[in-house]
Amino acid sequence: MAHEMTKKQAVVRVIGFGAASAAVFGTIFQFANPITEMFSRGGFYAAMPIATVFLVSYVHGSFASNLWTALGINAKQPAKTLQPTAAKRPEVRATLNA
Amino acid sequence: MDVALDSLRFIDLTTTSIIFLFIVGFIGGLVSGFIGSGGAFVLTPGMMSLGVPGTVAVASNMCHKFPKALVGAIKRFRYGQVDIKLGLVMAVSAGVGVQFGIKLQRVILEKWGQSGSNLYVSLSFVAVLILVGGYVFYDAMTADKGGKPKAGTTLAQRLQKIELWPMMTFKTAGVRISMWFTVPVGFATGMLAATIAVGGFVGVPGMIYIIGCSGLVASATELVIAFVMGLGGTVNWAMHGMVDIRLTAIILAGSLLGVQLGAIGTTIVKESLIKFVMGAIMLIVAVSRALAVPKYLAELGLMEVDPGTVSLMDKASFLIMCAALLFGALIILGSMYKARKANAAEEEREAVVRV
Repeated sequence: MAHEMTKKQAVVRVIGFGAASAAVFGTIFQFANPITEMFSRGGFYAAMPIATVFLVSYVHGSFASNLWTALGINAKQPAKTLQPTAAKRPEVRATLNA
Repeated sequence: MDVALDSLRFIDLTTTSIIFLFIVGFIGGLVSGFIGSGGAFVLTPGMMSLGVPGTVAVASNMCHKFPKALVGAIKRFRYGQVDIKLGLVMAVSAGVGVQFGIKLQRVILEKWGQSGSNLYVSLSFVAVLILVGGYVFYDAMTADKGGKPKAGTTLAQRLQKIELWPMMTFKTAGVRISMWFTVPVGFATGMLAATIAVGGFVGVPGMIYIIGCSGLVASATELVIAFVMGLGGTVNWAMHGMVDIRLTAIILAGSLLGVQLGAIGTTIVKESLIKFVMGAIMLIVAVSRALAVPKYLAELGLMEVDPGTVSLMDKASFLIMCAALLFGALIILGSMYKARKANAAEEEREAVVRV
């Protein structure tokens, strides 16, 4: 299981992924018309919007995940329940009461 | 170099439409991350109200749905809530269900025309949502205070006892059940997805009440189904050039933030809240769709309705749909806030005891 990230690590990652995410969205909207036109040509051009949303889901998804961690909104770890180990019963041995 | 876009397919984006899509994306993502589906039923009509043509709205919505589901599924997989095998079996059967649903739609369209098809869609919507949503809501309301389901032999437990070859074991869900009970749930999910575009409204309750998964596993596994089906649908739409990447990117910007928050929420609040939110949303959406029925009955000449009333009902229908999503989001956020507060208080008490 991955180790729990500290808030400080999360903030660093928010900045890194945030910059990458801004770059991706910035590129899409800076060249919005040519990109939209090219991505909607159909046929093999279908790979372009699909690849783009995979890229966005990685970059912006990582940004979002770290943002919530940095803000202190984390999942509750399931309480570690210790399995009660059955106490070993002493073996029944034949004893001689001599 | 600037390229002029085909104005029949692509709208001009305004600040208002960007903010609207981002917010609906965020709220839809939040609800999806929590109950496994949702958001799509508001986003498609929402985009259409901005002037986006129906096919582009459906395609762009679907293109945002599968990466959102992927991110949500990965997050919830890390919490141990996703049964990948169940998700894949359901997704394959849902794929067949979608094809059947599309064929059925075509038959209805040929026989009764567009109004007949719209009436069929609305009636299916209302019937399924009231029946299934009503039961989910009732189940959530009668769960015990700890949020655990009621004791007693359920339909799923009875079905699991039937040894009908081939039996399938789903480890994360902790279920062993015949394929003959699993595949129809997936098939119905797909058929509903082809009819009303929200398969999860049957998929999640099906996994809970027929297969026997917990609400947590069912809602998390639904994200796997949504990913597979969304990807398949997107390939199809994108090959026809119907995806508007600008709309998809804006919605995705909001929904990836929401879906992760919703996923975190499932670990904080009690389990029955997933059923409560799902049931409540389904019942409110049923009311919204019921308001659309008179319009189609009038178009088929089966009822007389004043055009002014129809337009008013259309608007009310869309607003109620938005209210359903907003209601779900507020309940999730409110419950998360309360649960976090309670957890913090508990931790503080424990710290005091240790000292």
